[in-house]
Amino acid sequence: MKVVHVIAFGLLFLGVVVSGVQVSYYSQRVRDLHGQLQAVQMHQDAQLAEHSRLLLERSVETSYQNIERIAQADLAMVFPEHVEHLEP
Amino acid sequence: MRRWRHFTVVGCFVLACLAIVGRVGYLNFTQRDFLQQQGDARSIRSETVPAYRGLVFDRYGEPLAVSTPVVAVWMDPSRNSLGEADVRHLAALLDLDADRLQAELAASAHREFLYLRRRVSLELAGSVRALGLNGVYFQNEYRRYYPAGETTAHVVGMTGVDDAGLEGVELSFDEVLRGQSGRKVVLKDRRGDTVKDLEFVSAPRFGSDLRLSLDLRLQFLAYRELKAAVAGHRAASGSLVMLDVATGEILALVNQPSYNPNDFTPGDTAGMRNRAVTDIYEPGSTVKPFTVLAALESGDFAADSAIDTSPGYFSVGSKLVQDPADRGVLTLEQTLQKSSQVGIAKVALALQDRAVFDVLVRAGMGSYMGTGLPGEAVAAINDAGLGDPVVRTTLAYGYGLALSPLQLAHAYLTLASGGLRRPLSLLRQEMPPDSTRVFPAALAREVIAMMETVTADTGTAPKARVPGYRVAGKTGTARKVGSDGYDDERHVALFAGLAPVSAPRLVVVVVINEPQGQLRGGGEVAAPVFARVVARSMRLLGVKPDGPGDAA
Repeated sequence: MKVVHVIAFGLLFLGVVVSGVQVSYYSQRVRDLHGQLQAVQMHQDAQLAEHSRLLLERSVETSYQNIERIAQADLAMVFPEHVEHLEP
Repeated sequence: MRRWRHFTVVGCFVLACLAIVGRVGYLNFTQRDFLQQQGDARSIRSETVPAYRGLVFDRYGEPLAVSTPVVAVWMDPSRNSLGEADVRHLAALLDLDADRLQAELAASAHREFLYLRRRVSLELAGSVRALGLNGVYFQNEYRRYYPAGETTAHVVGMTGVDDAGLEGVELSFDEVLRGQSGRKVVLKDRRGDTVKDLEFVSAPRFGSDLRLSLDLRLQFLAYRELKAAVAGHRAASGSLVMLDVATGEILALVNQPSYNPNDFTPGDTAGMRNRAVTDIYEPGSTVKPFTVLAALESGDFAADSAIDTSPGYFSVGSKLVQDPADRGVLTLEQTLQKSSQVGIAKVALALQDRAVFDVLVRAGMGSYMGTGLPGEAVAAINDAGLGDPVVRTTLAYGYGLALSPLQLAHAYLTLASGGLRRPLSLLRQEMPPDSTRVFPAALAREVIAMMETVTADTGTAPKARVPGYRVAGKTGTARKVGSDGYDDERHVALFAGLAPVSAPRLVVVVVINEPQGQLRGGGEVAAPVFARVVARSMRLLGVKPDGPGDAA
């Protein structure tokens, strides 16, 4: 066997080992990233749910009905029947 | 002896091996794709990842439709391995009847998919997941909430269980709102549990938000007043449309009856109709301002031109046109103010054949408005028979053509804007749209001034007056067509108007269909709704008062 053959065989062997290690490294990494993605997506869902809940809550609080009710019932305000415009 | 037995056995093995290799080779060459597919079909699943649907807001950012993530809980009944205690637990958590669930699972044992409950909150799904039951699966989905409920139901519409738009804006802007669901490929084991996500084919893309031109406060006001009026007059239905004069935006659009999109009962078709857009009515006297405009345009008439309406009736061909009383000699302005059929008919006959028709067409009648709402009706108006004086007179006082309330509002917008025609919009506009001049500004203003007298004590609609603001409008009371011609018992009461007169901000059209009480006319039924809605709207919009502070 010539020296050239030995070197070529050695390089091939090394290539196989290195690519093998890389394959396992990257599959592990994909798994990790996927885990992260899953966690982030769940977080996103929870945030979206919270956001929509708060939006709905705000819209109930600021609704015309609610403000009118508070104005009339709690603050004893009345709707003015006469309008006057005062120039400053 | 021994040798041949040895070779026989070896030979058989070699043959068997060859047969297997041959078969493998054969299958590999001839049926490779099919077998690969079948193998994948048993373990690899492609799953859709639902996209978050865009939200719908009013012009100031108040939410009108909101999506929230929920979970569908489902089972594979054919692999049901749940004990009775498990089923009870599950049923208790999901608020189901345990015995019925048990029976249902048994009954669908031959099936592989059964929803236990859809639209479960994330927290509840978490508790179910914590039970760790075998064969119970979770699927993410979204549920839509409509905070304003029936107030905005007809405009916003609703979505079905699969999150696709069914009605209103949800349907017409579905493309924009829906986003794009993502897809991922997963590897599943024999029991159907996901072992591994193989590939994210595409991430879900959120839908875009939509900002409508509606003002939720005005919408609510309009809805409340319309509902009270429809109930008070025991009417069959009603609609109200409010437009912004400067931009052509629809600020409020409500109908009665309505429905609750959050808790929809299928089959409620009466409540679902967006009548302001889809239903057409004969507009009756609300068309008269356009006849008057045609008269002014002709140059043969001025506001003070005298028209003799005595003896209160006259015949056009075979048709008898009549007023409720002999009103004697009226000016053109008084003809409009008192809504005299005889006066308007005489004016119409004095004009050229196409004059009134042309004005109506220029006001936008008969053309598509392009608001994007599903089922938008185009006005039914045509120029056939204009040579016939009967057709011309009936057109002049609003019969023989049919309009949706939205279309009537669009026509009034051309008056309120001083003769400019603008497209209507359901989406908030950042700048005023291009307008086309269709009437001279001076004439439009003159007609508005005449329409203001309609709300005077001597007019047909003093009840349309708003304290502090000058308003102009026109009443209409149209008889409905029954099985044999016009029905004297069934009416549509209309009022179309604008406010404030000095610098119009709003156009409001009120239509009350088939009021049943003592009062049936537009001035009695529809005008008060106009007054109440406009009074509050003017304050909410901060419009400077331009008139006396007394009401009718």
